[in-house]
Amino acid sequence: MNGVTVGSFYALVALGYSMVYGVMKLINFAHGDLFTLGSYLGYTFLVWGAAWITERAGLWWGVLGAILFAFLANAGAGILVERVAYRPVYRAGRLPLVVSALGMSIFLQNAIMAVWGPRFQVYPSDLVPVASLRFLGLSLPLLKVVILFLSLGVMFVMYWIVEKTEFGAAVRATALDREMATLLGIDVQRVILFVFTLGPALGGMAGVMNGMYYRSIQFSMGWNYGLKAFTATILGGIGNIPGAMVGGVLLGVIETLLAGYIPGGGAWKDGFTFLILILVLIFRPTGILGEKVAEKV
Amino acid sequence: MGVVFSRPRTGRFWRFVPVLLGGFIAVFPFLPFVNDYWVDVGFFVGLYGLLGLSLNVVLGEVGLFDLGHAAFYAIGAYTTAILNTTLNIPVLLLLPVSALVASGFAYLVMSPVIHLRGDYLCIVTIGIGEIVRIIIVNNPWGITNGPNGITGVGFPTLGPFVIQTPMQFYYFVWVVVAFVAFMLLRLQKSRIGRAWNAIREDEIAAEAMGIDVRAYKLLAFTLGAALAGLAGNIYAAKMAVVSPQSFLFMESALLFCIVLLGGLGSLPGVLLGAALVVIFPEVFRRFASFRLLFFGLALMVAMIFRPGGLLPRRREILELDGLDVQGFSAEKVSPVRIGQVSLKEHSPVQVPCELDPCPLLEVQGVTLRFGGLVAVNRYNLAVYPGRVTSLIGPNGAGKTTLFNIITGIYRPDEGRVLFKGEDITGLKPHLVVARGIARTFQNIRLFPSLTCLENVLTGLHCRGSSGFVSTVLRMPFQVQEEREFVETAAYWLYRVGLWEYRNELARNLPYGRQKYLEIARALTTGPELLVLDEPSSGLNERETEELMEFLQRLLQEGITILLIEHDMNVVMGISDWVSVMDMGSKIAEGSPWEVYNHPRVIEAYLGKEEEWVGSTS
Amino acid sequence: MKSRRLVAFLFLSAVFFWGQVFAEEPIRIGLQAPITGSFAIEGQMARQCVEVAAELINEQGGILGRPVEIIVADDASNPRDSALAAQKLISQGVVAAIASYGSSVTEPAADLYERNRVVCVAYGATAVRLTMGKERRYFFRTCGRDDSQGEFFARFAVETMGWRRIAIMHDNQTYGKGVAEETKKYLEPYIREGRAEIVYYDAITPGDQDYSAALTKLRESNPDVWYYTAYYPEAGLLVRQAREMGITVPFVGSNAVPNEDFVRIAGLEYVVGTFMTQEPLPQDLNTPKAQEFFAAYRAKYGDIPSSPWPIYAADALFALAQAIENAKSTKPDDIAQAMRTMENAEGITGPIVFTERGDRKGVPYAMYRYNEKGQLELFTP
Repeated sequence: MNGVTVGSFYALVALGYSMVYGVMKLINFAHGDLFTLGSYLGYTFLVWGAAWITERAGLWWGVLGAILFAFLANAGAGILVERVAYRPVYRAGRLPLVVSALGMSIFLQNAIMAVWGPRFQVYPSDLVPVASLRFLGLSLPLLKVVILFLSLGVMFVMYWIVEKTEFGAAVRATALDREMATLLGIDVQRVILFVFTLGPALGGMAGVMNGMYYRSIQFSMGWNYGLKAFTATILGGIGNIPGAMVGGVLLGVIETLLAGYIPGGGAWKDGFTFLILILVLIFRPTGILGEKVAEKV
Repeated sequence: MGVVFSRPRTGRFWRFVPVLLGGFIAVFPFLPFVNDYWVDVGFFVGLYGLLGLSLNVVLGEVGLFDLGHAAFYAIGAYTTAILNTTLNIPVLLLLPVSALVASGFAYLVMSPVIHLRGDYLCIVTIGIGEIVRIIIVNNPWGITNGPNGITGVGFPTLGPFVIQTPMQFYYFVWVVVAFVAFMLLRLQKSRIGRAWNAIREDEIAAEAMGIDVRAYKLLAFTLGAALAGLAGNIYAAKMAVVSPQSFLFMESALLFCIVLLGGLGSLPGVLLGAALVVIFPEVFRRFASFRLLFFGLALMVAMIFRPGGLLPRRREILELDGLDVQGFSAEKVSPVRIGQVSLKEHSPVQVPCELDPCPLLEVQGVTLRFGGLVAVNRYNLAVYPGRVTSLIGPNGAGKTTLFNIITGIYRPDEGRVLFKGEDITGLKPHLVVARGIARTFQNIRLFPSLTCLENVLTGLHCRGSSGFVSTVLRMPFQVQEEREFVETAAYWLYRVGLWEYRNELARNLPYGRQKYLEIARALTTGPELLVLDEPSSGLNERETEELMEFLQRLLQEGITILLIEHDMNVVMGISDWVSVMDMGSKIAEGSPWEVYNHPRVIEAYLGKEEEWVGSTS
Repeated sequence: MKSRRLVAFLFLSAVFFWGQVFAEEPIRIGLQAPITGSFAIEGQMARQCVEVAAELINEQGGILGRPVEIIVADDASNPRDSALAAQKLISQGVVAAIASYGSSVTEPAADLYERNRVVCVAYGATAVRLTMGKERRYFFRTCGRDDSQGEFFARFAVETMGWRRIAIMHDNQTYGKGVAEETKKYLEPYIREGRAEIVYYDAITPGDQDYSAALTKLRESNPDVWYYTAYYPEAGLLVRQAREMGITVPFVGSNAVPNEDFVRIAGLEYVVGTFMTQEPLPQDLNTPKAQEFFAAYRAKYGDIPSSPWPIYAADALFALAQAIENAKSTKPDDIAQAMRTMENAEGITGPIVFTERGDRKGVPYAMYRYNEKGQLELFTP
């Protein structure tokens, strides 16, 4: 159960990651830091504005407001990141993009530290719902349930958009062959815009929910999530958006199981996770759900 | 047509740069403002230069995404630390030992994953980096001392002489860097270096030109790991303590940036990258908490304005003005002669020939399925020596797929392929080339960043045998082989009329000439059978006629030709035999005129008349 | 007449002025700290503390009449940067250095200072081997050591509280693992006697946020007490998640845990009743130095430091100042000698006396407990 919760965070972040990666073939190292940004923005919102909302409409509206704020603000940040760090570098190929992404990641992390300080910030507990839900004899924090449902809902919506709508087809087409997509009349710029707003926005949303759930945030928290998200993306298959979601949840579950059931496993947890990833790639090189890109010889 | 020539970096000035640089490095510690602190900075520039060079072999030369290189660095450092503190083995002796252990580890770990594609390999290397670090932190069997690290590593001693002051370490590391750079320079300009670059440019084409891609990738990793192990040893000796904190993922990322900042495959670039990466944060110390902020910014700016790196790699320009290309005779560099020299080496199991005369190439009942789709359906084809055989059919019929089966890129589900009586079914492409079959591709697969001469030289890869040691030591045998290679390559360039373009980058050539370059490259491998995939596509009428003449001449020299074609003029003009394929199956076969009038063939092409009638352009 | 007086006046004032200039030459002391990197909080706070301490010293006339100047070098919690930072400080001619935070980061720096004969006082490096391993004549530390804390907990747990089933959790880093290992070591005699057993010994990964798996394992081992030996961010999350999971085992944190951020992260309701092994807290020391220092710090930064280590850094400066005064010299050998023998150094954390090997003498540990107001109180069983 806990694995699924952790996994759903990974999945959300991985979703955003996978979208950018699938369409742009860009390993967005800055994605993890956009996640951090999201959680800080949510925090800021809660600290400054939420009290006002909460007084009027109740706790949950404050929460919703924070999520929405982070979602939108992060979308904007995503576009900014793309404009500044990536767009000028596209023509140079994939490797310089990686360096640029790394640079942006370092920059964002330190910028967050510069603005909000290096201390751990704590989400104000009175503004976050702490009610519990009794279910089948287990006491589940209401927040956890809400987060789970929200994540699943978002994933479902994303899945539906990408797989079932026309625009989604455009996104997939651009991911497969950008030049061809352009020739077919697809507005690639719009697709890129979509990917770079929604991806970071999802990351931001995950960031806020993460902050509310675990309460403490710090400027370096994103790095870990970014790496896990990348792992989840690969696990699920490159360019495969539902795959990334599955990969994320799977990763969370595996990690939790490893830490729980192997003696002394806590310390080796990350190592085992990577080992499993490597084994999966050896035996099923296109990821668990398979990738959707084939190379013509 | 005007061709844009890229000006090679010439001039006497540039020849002095390495000398000046070397001189500067040599006297640096004695400069007026330089104190121990700056000497230490200089040491770290050298150390990271060494690390950068080690990653460059993998990332710069071969183009493999390695984001876990710090693992090899760590293994080198820990090997030195552990063996020195527990068994008292002298540190200097551990220098080669660390390199060996690191490279052994790389070989073992990368073997099962080396075939993975770019981004998958990336995440695997990240994983390996993290796993190594986690293992170190968890102190298995108590050998790594966990997060505290190992202290008390000794200093390297050379007899009575101990390396311990900053200045001594400075010179030590730079001497090592010099040796390594020297070795890498030799490798760059050799068969091995070209093979690496070819893999980076286009892996499939490289394999199709006779390069054992897997082996060379592993070689790069092994060498890169060895060099990183060297750096690890030096680091451990200098710091006297090793701890897992020095080998975080960030370290691997930093090395990655060094190589890219400097320029892929560029040795001076890498050294410059190392200098920047080390000096930048030091210079910006006064900004304290904003140091890294600026660093991140600097990385982005660098990629925006100089994505190719600050000192991008320049290909080797061989003037070769003195080479008497016109004087070369076909006999001297005859591909068949070269082919026969190497072919003598192996003795294949000969499958007795059923048909008479014996075909050169026989495709027997070959079937290949992709999922539910049958791409090639029980196809039979016999190619006889000294003739031109054409394979035609509507688009998507499976012709290129059949070619890919013949050349080893795909393994058929059923049936077999015999070449000169030997069963080569499923043999890896580079081995097929060695047997004597060379090919070109439908969508030209050249090595774009290499010069024309270098492109063609890759074809000779499988005919050579100089290895790592003979290259680095510049043994006479290797030098001789290089010279012969250049002569052969020059000959073929001249034959296809590209001699003036020899130092031009392949990607700058106009389309028509690129096609000829690819053919020249294929011919250089010394094939008996030349397999061409739509050689005339994109050529105009005059160019097509020239091509046909060229192919005729090749025939006279003893090369057999198998081609896929859509241009009927070519098919009718030079083919001796035509096989027609549709939806994976053979629907007709015979002389060109027989096929041309065959009812089933006409039916297959019905509705696609533009392909059938006359030449296309 | 007049001209001669004028000349005399000018001459005297020149001498006076010149003397002042000479007398004004500052005593440079280096501070090596993680200003950037994962422990940036500690480093930046350390800088603030040392600077406030320096101001206090200068207000009172400086050292040997000369003002103290602090030169800061960032080591980013990275051994390589640490070596470079140390080298930089040495090259800038510091008389002594206060360095650093993190034992594996301090080690290369300590070697460099030793080789260059510069006195080095660590404030956040508790590994035993720093003073008990190689001999270092110029190395001191104002903080405690891992083993004394481990010993204290072992004794307290078994003898005083009668806890038998002990769970030890750490974070696999130098400090956390160090204290955990020392605790384990000091529990050995009790284990042999059958008075204690270690039912859980594992590490969590710092930076993670979800510890439910580790906590489930902890619960299954059914301990009498849960000792967490690492840092406050994870401690806060652990306590909250544990309590929310219904784990009621008494929690004891090591001396890097108690912190107002710990209270914030864990939530006041869960923090009440948790124990901490801690050197006597500043709030419990009513040393005049502490009051002076906190007043000045509060005036400048609005609050007192939230971590013990930066306070040790300030104490390092006070110790050095006193040593130099005692020795009446800024030569490293004199300072080192004075440091070893002095008895009159007053720090925020009390009197500062060093052992022969450079450790802080007499760092007693006490068991503290959080009360309902979220404040630490000395615990009397």
